[in-house]
Amino acid sequence: MFALIKLIQSLFGALHSEGTPGQLAAGIVLGSFLGLTPLLNLHNALIFALLVLLNVSFAGGMLGWALFIPIGFLLDPLFDWIGHSLLLAPSLRGLWTSCYNTPIVPLTNFNNTVVLGSLVFAVLFAVPLFLAARLAVIRYRATIGERVRQSRWYRAVMASKAYNVYKMFRP
Amino acid sequence: MSVKVFRWRAIGPLLVLFVIACVLWWLFADSIARREAQNVGTQMLGAKVEIQDLHLDLRHGDVTIRGLTIASPHEPFKNLLQADEIVADLDVVPLTEKKIIIDRVAANGLRFGTPRQTDGRVATKSGEGIAGRVLAETHDWASQFQIPALQLATGKIGVDSLDPRRLSTTPAAAALDTRADSSRRVWQAAFDTLRLGPALDSASATLEQLKHARATDLATLNEARRAIDRLKRARDRVTALERNVTRGTANLKSGLAGLDSARRRDYAFARSLLKLPSLDAPAVGAALFAPAAIRRFERVLYWTQLARRYMPPGLLPRATTGTKRVRRSGEDIRFPKERALPRFLLRTAELSFLLHPNAAQPQRYAGRLTGLTSDPAVYGRPTTFGASGPQLVAGGLLNHLRGIPVDTAGATVGGITIPTFEMPGVPLRLDPGAAVTQLGFNLNGDTIHARFAIRSSDVRWSRDSTLANTTIGDLIWRTVSGISNLDVEARLAGALQHPDLAVRSNLDQAIADRLRAVLGAQVAAAERQMRERVDALVNDKVAPVRAKVNEAQTQVQAQVAQQRTRLDELQKQLEQRLRELTRIRLP
Repeated sequence: MFALIKLIQSLFGALHSEGTPGQLAAGIVLGSFLGLTPLLNLHNALIFALLVLLNVSFAGGMLGWALFIPIGFLLDPLFDWIGHSLLLAPSLRGLWTSCYNTPIVPLTNFNNTVVLGSLVFAVLFAVPLFLAARLAVIRYRATIGERVRQSRWYRAVMASKAYNVYKMFRP
Repeated sequence: MSVKVFRWRAIGPLLVLFVIACVLWWLFADSIARREAQNVGTQMLGAKVEIQDLHLDLRHGDVTIRGLTIASPHEPFKNLLQADEIVADLDVVPLTEKKIIIDRVAANGLRFGTPRQTDGRVATKSGEGIAGRVLAETHDWASQFQIPALQLATGKIGVDSLDPRRLSTTPAAAALDTRADSSRRVWQAAFDTLRLGPALDSASATLEQLKHARATDLATLNEARRAIDRLKRARDRVTALERNVTRGTANLKSGLAGLDSARRRDYAFARSLLKLPSLDAPAVGAALFAPAAIRRFERVLYWTQLARRYMPPGLLPRATTGTKRVRRSGEDIRFPKERALPRFLLRTAELSFLLHPNAAQPQRYAGRLTGLTSDPAVYGRPTTFGASGPQLVAGGLLNHLRGIPVDTAGATVGGITIPTFEMPGVPLRLDPGAAVTQLGFNLNGDTIHARFAIRSSDVRWSRDSTLANTTIGDLIWRTVSGISNLDVEARLAGALQHPDLAVRSNLDQAIADRLRAVLGAQVAAAERQMRERVDALVNDKVAPVRAKVNEAQTQVQAQVAQQRTRLDELQKQLEQRLRELTRIRLP
């Protein structure tokens, strides 16, 4: 329940923040990496660091993460297939062999079919996701954004203490 | 308005997070490593791996494991080994490539085959992972051997029901019946196409004319000569048919012989339904000792096959199931490379272990393992191990450098008290006492050669009370109880999938001789009974077929002979009359 409230808070907090649609969309894209790829991997530490350090919407990142976790689970068979095809492609064998025998790189688990497949998918999906998210935020703010902000239930949700935590990282 | 790219104020919290992660690692690294080592070990070996304490000292590259217990993947309440302390000298730099390179391991206080409280088998129960699959494969492999069961204790000879549908004589008889009919039709058609009637009629008519002809009647003489030619051609056709018939009848006769051999097979099949105590010496050895030998071979094969899976030859990418997680595990593909470090390498392990740990004077042994690696082709040297001590010599070599792996192992262990074991099918227990056990194993590609031998001069026998109540039981008991030496040898050779197993022991002849003397008459009677059953079932089918074949053969041969006689007779008469007419009479 708390997670759901937090998600709703994140969603509306991000949509009504002072951040630009671009910042919000970039946050969602970085968050989608966390959701689409298996979490406990080195590249996700980098993504998290970028989410914190870059001036993108942290709430958007959390929103992207939350939204793309179930999608990641659903698409795991596809990721497995993509990773398998890439890792066993004869033309790429030299590249993977070099990477595998280079310090640090193997720690990223790139040689796991799901990790590589999901990461490649997330990278390819990043640009369309960014454009779509940016457009959606612009349209939302231009149409029903103000009415939502004035509504009673929006104020009730945002009054929760969890919102204060979010405010620490708002853009 | 320009938008700032970096959020500088977040560096602080990020650093705090990093410090927290480092502190957590410092606090829990040993626990995490211990748990991971247990999980990976359990998954790899197919049996529980338990570690009491693990300490990582990455600064000095030391890993210390205390209280290691590895359960047996085959026996539920037994450990494969226990170790008091294992100290590994780890190469730290390759860890950045996720490669574990251990320069040296010193293992102290190793103990083998110790009892345990809980069932430590994992692969047997789950059947998952590489270990599960290998265990299932080796179990299937071991179950292919047909061990004859001895039912010596009661001496009863059981007879299973004989299913007529499983006899091979009946379908063979039906097939031969059809062939006889078909041959008969073919021969009759061939006989009809000879068209001997016109030739014979024409020759008879010519002969009549010739009887009243004169020497100057040249037309008649010429006609006679033509008739003789026609008769000769007709006889050639008859000869050809006769040859054909001879071949056909030979085939039918071989069919009849086939019926006899089918019947012999049916006798053998019926005999297999008898629950007879085997009376051949090698079968006695196989029945008594093969299960124990096969169990040993199965275990060695399990470890060998496991080594082949984890240490495959060549440099091609290799896929293994990925680490378990909530998300799909996927597959981890490894990319070995020449002149690089392998994924795992244990350069040298010095082992020190005890045999008879509970004895008053436990014996201390030393062993050495070198070149244990996940990528033998990368490391370039085979894995070797050896151990020696007062009563032990053991050695092995796993050569997976080339396409065809060769695995060899051998051990001779003396003075080990082999546990008492039940003789299968016989309520007898054999206590081999302090025996010398030898095991030799060679798996070259898919060809196996293995040998297992037990020698003891202090054998003791004990029996169940049920054995005393039967004549056979008493007989067996009297036979074996006087034997104090045991010399058993089991050999396995051939293609791995279908090797030949031969077991011999000094008990074979002794038991077989006694059994043959007592049970021979009963066995012969039971076999006679089964033969009569087979005869009763197949005689009805075979006798008519045999009669039909004989009849067809006789009939066609008679027809051919009759026509040949007529042809010969007519030709002879024509030639004789012709000679009379053409003889020159001098005035």
